[in-house]
Amino acid sequence: MKQVNLKIDGKDVTVPADWTVIKACHQNDVDVPHYCYHPDLSIAGNCRICMVGVKGMPRPVVACAQPVAEGMEVSTTGKDVEEARKGVMEFLLINHPLDCPECDQSGECKLQDYSYDHGRDHGRFHEEKVRKSKATMGPHVKYWGSRCIVCTRCVRFTEEVSGGGELGVIYRGDRSEIALFPGKNLDNPLSMNNVDICPVGALVSSDFLFQSRVWHLHSNPSVCADCSVGCNSRVDLDAKNQIKRIVPRQNDAVNKSWMCDHGRLSFDYVHENRLQKPKVHGKDATWKEARRAALDLLSAPGSVALISAWNTNEAMQSIKNFLSSENPSTRIFGYGNTVEADLVFPGFTISGDKNPNCAGMKQVLGIGDANASLKALAAEKDSIGCLLLVNNIPNFQITAELKSILDRSQNVVLLDFATGDLLRYGNVAVALPTLTTFEKSGSFVNRTGLTQTFDAVMEPVTYGMPETEIVAALRGDRVAVGNQR
Amino acid sequence: MSESPLNSPNGAMVPFTPVILKHIHEAGSHTLDHYVARGGYETARTNVGKTEPGSLVKLVEESGLRGRGGAGFPTGKKWSFLAKGTGKPAYLTVNGDESEPGTFKDRHIVEKDPHQLLEGVILTCWAIQSHHAFIYLRGEFILGYERLEAAVREAKARGFIGKKIFDTDFDLKVVVMRGAGAYICGEETGMLSSIEGGRGYPKIKPPFPAVSGVFQCPTIVNNVETIACVSHIVKNGAAWHKQWGTEKSPGFKIFCLSGAVKKPGVYEVPLGITMKEFIEVYGGGMIEGRTLKAVIPGGLSAPLLTPEMVEKCTLDYESLAGLGSMLGSGGITVLHDQVDLMSAIYNTMRFYHHESCGQCTPCREGTGWLEKLAHKFHEGHAHEGDVDLLGDVARNMRGRTICVLADAAAMPMQSYLQLFRGEFEKRVHEPAYTERKRTARDEITPAAKRDTVTQGGPDVLSVGMGMDRI
Repeated sequence: MKQVNLKIDGKDVTVPADWTVIKACHQNDVDVPHYCYHPDLSIAGNCRICMVGVKGMPRPVVACAQPVAEGMEVSTTGKDVEEARKGVMEFLLINHPLDCPECDQSGECKLQDYSYDHGRDHGRFHEEKVRKSKATMGPHVKYWGSRCIVCTRCVRFTEEVSGGGELGVIYRGDRSEIALFPGKNLDNPLSMNNVDICPVGALVSSDFLFQSRVWHLHSNPSVCADCSVGCNSRVDLDAKNQIKRIVPRQNDAVNKSWMCDHGRLSFDYVHENRLQKPKVHGKDATWKEARRAALDLLSAPGSVALISAWNTNEAMQSIKNFLSSENPSTRIFGYGNTVEADLVFPGFTISGDKNPNCAGMKQVLGIGDANASLKALAAEKDSIGCLLLVNNIPNFQITAELKSILDRSQNVVLLDFATGDLLRYGNVAVALPTLTTFEKSGSFVNRTGLTQTFDAVMEPVTYGMPETEIVAALRGDRVAVGNQR
Repeated sequence: MSESPLNSPNGAMVPFTPVILKHIHEAGSHTLDHYVARGGYETARTNVGKTEPGSLVKLVEESGLRGRGGAGFPTGKKWSFLAKGTGKPAYLTVNGDESEPGTFKDRHIVEKDPHQLLEGVILTCWAIQSHHAFIYLRGEFILGYERLEAAVREAKARGFIGKKIFDTDFDLKVVVMRGAGAYICGEETGMLSSIEGGRGYPKIKPPFPAVSGVFQCPTIVNNVETIACVSHIVKNGAAWHKQWGTEKSPGFKIFCLSGAVKKPGVYEVPLGITMKEFIEVYGGGMIEGRTLKAVIPGGLSAPLLTPEMVEKCTLDYESLAGLGSMLGSGGITVLHDQVDLMSAIYNTMRFYHHESCGQCTPCREGTGWLEKLAHKFHEGHAHEGDVDLLGDVARNMRGRTICVLADAAAMPMQSYLQLFRGEFEKRVHEPAYTERKRTARDEITPAAKRDTVTQGGPDVLSVGMGMDRI
């Protein structure tokens, strides 16, 4: 791409010729306020807050719709620019209900932010405000019309990214509001992105509504584990170590600014049905007792390890290394959630592979197709000495194939974070509690081959340990047990 | 209608008889037979497929024809900007969404001489090598739509429109579309959005329509009157057109006269005649017992002219621009001395509030605010400081939006404030003023009769053609 040179606030910058002024500013750490502009949507140019001065132009222009040009001199400050922004801020707020105390967006609202930066300290509007409707747009999205600034980000999102075109603008002028087209419902799997991109409190999440004030939350970056896309996410927790919501982080190489509703909402398993403590033959045990019991079983001849594609690269590698020294005859197989067809939208794809680390499994364990590997093991008839089952799949439902494998295993050592089907099925001799992806660090390889690392976003809610630490402890035990012998 | 002798640029006195409106009073003027009998479609027949398209563009450029929709951009120049070699089809879109209050000229062309428009469309399409023309009509023009549709059918039956027109290899499709009642669809890019089937939101320029217009293809947007001029210019030549008017505003134009004059109506006159002459001679002067207070010269959005400015004003683009106003669409509304300006400005603001599309923040919110403030002045509830606030809000709206609707609303407000600030301040200090004024208004036109008054009547509510019923 051809590059052009321009000056932003006196600083020389070089950017590709097809960029707009706002992008050039943002990429060079110059803040330009914006509502309707979104880097992953088309340009609407309707909010008019992003006005900047361009030398040679009679009046400020909107930076989002202004292409860069060679030798251009942009100023993001100055009397003209400030006056224009101040005017727009005032217009935006005259019909706004100013109901911040009861608004979910409060604390992360662009109207609040820019009001501090560019607004007036008092209102000059003493007339009656325009009132607009409230609506339920879909199962996860509600609409507060009066707060809406009609930036049309949501309309463009449904047209350009999710593709359903459910939303449109109705009425004219200051009566304009967002509405569903007749017979449509905002129930597509990407609907909650509309909540994120809404710069004000007009579109809010039904799931997060009135759950917490955002300034009581603390946020940590993570990677979504719900499919092989590996969306970069941000997990918001309250003071009680409870996950309140998950929102996307922008990463143009993976998920742009988007994330599917399923990925945002699947965190209930962190707080429900957890395996709190190690168990030996169904009874609670100490970690030491459980580890020793496991060590005894794992050395049995004809043992098999069955590792799900929900495990991190680190877990897979450490288990593989441990088994090769502990019981080199152990064969390793893989499994995972069933793979469905991808859900393809005009601007986003939700992977049908509902496992985060199939690609990592291939790299670390050399198992290319997890479920084919499971089938191969299920097809065998020989008795299994000890089955080391490393599950970590949330809400896992036991399959017939897995049942047949469990049935012919003399003993099962289970590593899992939940008291699910597997534990109930019966012949689990030792169960060691592990942690969810939110509570441990590690890395996944997504479907494009990109390795993404993540850290724990929260304190563990159980006495569980990450697989790597369990393996390290088992190694330590082996040394101790060996010395005793 | 009297002939108007006037100085042409070369100093000669050239008499003028109407050109475009010449036949509108004749019975059956809207039919093909009538049009052909007076030599219609001959210009198209002799030019399409025979004349070099570029030379037609040059001819129109030489004639100095300027767009009649309001902005007055030179038509030939606009045509020459049409992007070529894009591999995309070029479109002609004719803007007949005439909804500027005080303007009612295109309606007469469409209703009474639609074939004149169609011949202009054929010649323009040949000149810009477009095979597809849209004529976008204001939705309320029901008779106009029926007649234009009928005219297209007749012309198609004769082979003037359609495949291989006039037995040449040139194909031309003409589609007549109706608006759904939005003023903003008369804005050129708003009209393009509407033609595309979208909400009538104006588009960001650049790219200009000549590069990327309707369906992202190169598009020429012209007003109905502009296109109607084309066949006459092609027939008679550029010099013929330039014998009227001034050097920079050559030719003739249709003006719509309404308000407190004896003979309101539609008049076609050479550009450059004096406003005074236009009102006195064509409009028959002020109605009895009234004197001139102000003139809205170019549609409702044009800044006002005071009587002193009217004395100096001539009807051409430069003179009005020099007076801080604009020729616009040629809708001239005359306000008499007893017009309640607060009522007039409130009515004006109500119109723009109602018609703002709501896309850009300053216009969406500002038009409503101006209306509410103007209403306070109208009702006598305004406070100290509201006069300055009006000016501030109007200033914050100007030049800050995608299209010029915000400017169209802010300009009259600013001009009322600039020229008649005293009337606003009177309302702040004398709340009882409103009551007195209302009584006076009822004396002029009793309330019962007021609803039936249309444009041209002496009542103040005629400002903006009965907008208060919207």
